Amino acid sequence: MSELTHASAPKRFVGGQLLGSSQLVLGVILAVLCIAISIAAPQFYSEANIIAILRQCALVLIVASGMTMLIITAEVDLSVGASLAFVGCIGMAVLNSTHSLTLGLLAALAFAGGVGLFNGLVVTRLRVNSLIATIGTMMMLQGGVYLFTREAVQNHNQLASFTDLGAGYVGAVPVPVILAALIFVVAYVTLRFTTLGRYLYAVGANEKAVRLSGLRSERLKLFAFVLTGLCVGVAGMILSSLMNAGQPTAGRGFELTVIAAVILGGTSLLGGRGSLFGTLLGVLVLKVIDNGIIILGWNQDLQMVVPGVVIILATYLDIIRNKANVR
Amino acid sequence: MSFAATAPAKAQPSMLVRLVARQELALLVCLILVLAFFSFTVENFFSVRNLTNVLGQASLPLIAGIGCAIVFISGEVDISIGSLVATIALPLIIIMNDTNSLWLGIGGALLFGLIIGVVNGYLTAYAGINSLIVTLGTMFIMRGGVYLYTGQRAIPDDASLDSFIALSDGRLFNTIPYSAVIAIVLLGAFAYMMQHRPFGRQIYAVGGNQEVARLAGYDVRRVKFICFIISSLLATVAGIILAARVGSAQHTAGLNFEFQVVAATVLGGVSLAGGIGSLTGMALGVLILQFLSNGLRGLGLPTEWQLVITGMIIIAAVAFDEAKRRRANGG
Repeated sequence: MSELTHASAPKRFVGGQLLGSSQLVLGVILAVLCIAISIAAPQFYSEANIIAILRQCALVLIVASGMTMLIITAEVDLSVGASLAFVGCIGMAVLNSTHSLTLGLLAALAFAGGVGLFNGLVVTRLRVNSLIATIGTMMMLQGGVYLFTREAVQNHNQLASFTDLGAGYVGAVPVPVILAALIFVVAYVTLRFTTLGRYLYAVGANEKAVRLSGLRSERLKLFAFVLTGLCVGVAGMILSSLMNAGQPTAGRGFELTVIAAVILGGTSLLGGRGSLFGTLLGVLVLKVIDNGIIILGWNQDLQMVVPGVVIILATYLDIIRNKANVR
Repeated sequence: MSFAATAPAKAQPSMLVRLVARQELALLVCLILVLAFFSFTVENFFSVRNLTNVLGQASLPLIAGIGCAIVFISGEVDISIGSLVATIALPLIIIMNDTNSLWLGIGGALLFGLIIGVVNGYLTAYAGINSLIVTLGTMFIMRGGVYLYTGQRAIPDDASLDSFIALSDGRLFNTIPYSAVIAIVLLGAFAYMMQHRPFGRQIYAVGGNQEVARLAGYDVRRVKFICFIISSLLATVAGIILAARVGSAQHTAGLNFEFQVVAATVLGGVSLAGGIGSLTGMALGVLILQFLSNGLRGLGLPTEWQLVITGMIIIAAVAFDEAKRRRANGG
């Protein structure tokens, strides 16, 4: 939106080098945070606390992996929070009636993927601005989930495999963290090392050029929307497993946390610029702040204020550094 | 000055202006259809009492929508208005409780709104940070600040000044709510500014093509800066009326208000890309959504259905508008 930041076009094409240093700033912020918190509260480095942080990162990172790809194609999805709650309810309901983890997961993925497909079709076929289209979907899902269920869908299936999805461990590592790591690595490799990944960047940087060179830009965007939806499906099932219920009120403001993490990681809302590694750092910074506020015994409402300051500050530092580089 | 201001916009607008005019006509037809449909299906829908009630309810998104539309037209976004509505209720209620003066309270609230507008505007226009990020940040900061300050408890209005209460249930000539009168006056004033004052033309020029506007000698940064201040001040006015209506400063006030306003503004044909749209369109968008939700409630549909239907209508309206624009541009 603000063209001022990206006024000089060449910057986008030498983006690679700049991106590296943008992550450097974030890495330094993360290191300073960790050191400061551990001086004030030594229990920060306990094994239990590190696992707690990673577990909290998992949900955000899963959805942020898809969202990073989507924002790189210059689109955005605000419906992920509302979809997360709906998916949890539907997944739990299917589990309760079928007692099959596979069917429950499939239902959740199908629903969330369907939401992504709907968003993608509205944006690519009907040419509705994605910010507006997904606000519309968000409203429909928020209303729809209450039409589906007025109260939380309780866990009546007691499937051990389902409980493990959120609360289980492999060795010392929680299952959600493993899932998040898997999804992150697949997304990272796709974006970094495959032609598909390069195409996604290209669509975001210059959609017209991509279309003129014979690629179906709509398909690529549609792909990113569906992928984001599928990520929400996985995250929704993990969340309902963690809460042991499908909560229609879950996921309020989740979309903003995810987008904040992606932006913090240096991905440009204008598209064509950004990286998943940055997103990982963004998620870590936000969640370390959250955790620090808790173990320092500060008022938990600061969990909203501090990320707000950090997002603005990090973006501003990035701009200042870019200006310095250009000179 | 006034010549210089209108000149750059003249290049393409004759077609554009006509397009916008047609858009408003289509919206007006929509509004009339909504009114007609519910008049036949809902008892007491088309009564003076109900219509003026809806007008009163519409006043909040109308007032905030003016600012939202102006920021959109300048090519930026402001999603901090929902949190601002909750935040400015604090100085308002606290000052009124301390001093028993409505004017001091309003002055305090407006001063606070002005500060937020300056911060949003400075960070966007002068520091060059994307406005979605800036206002997302200030949205978090303000909401968290209100939670921190209030401890998630409402601060009641202990002064209960008659003049303050009149803001919510007072009616001009016993029919039109004061809040609606305020909204109409503000709408008229800003619509005049946007269409007939040089500054309004500058906003369109900046949003339409920033580079051309800069070469034409406009101070692009200053124009955007002022747009954010206008938006924050108008959201403050909406917040004051909301505080009068609920009689307290609530930490949850204005949750999702920004989405409601953005939806109505876009429905009214104001483009997120900047430079396109009008305040009349925005106002029609607000009215359509408000009458729709009032009518659906009259039909006995639960609020959830209203959300679902509103969401569908927003997507459909923007899709229709987009299709029309593409056909007008020959593909």
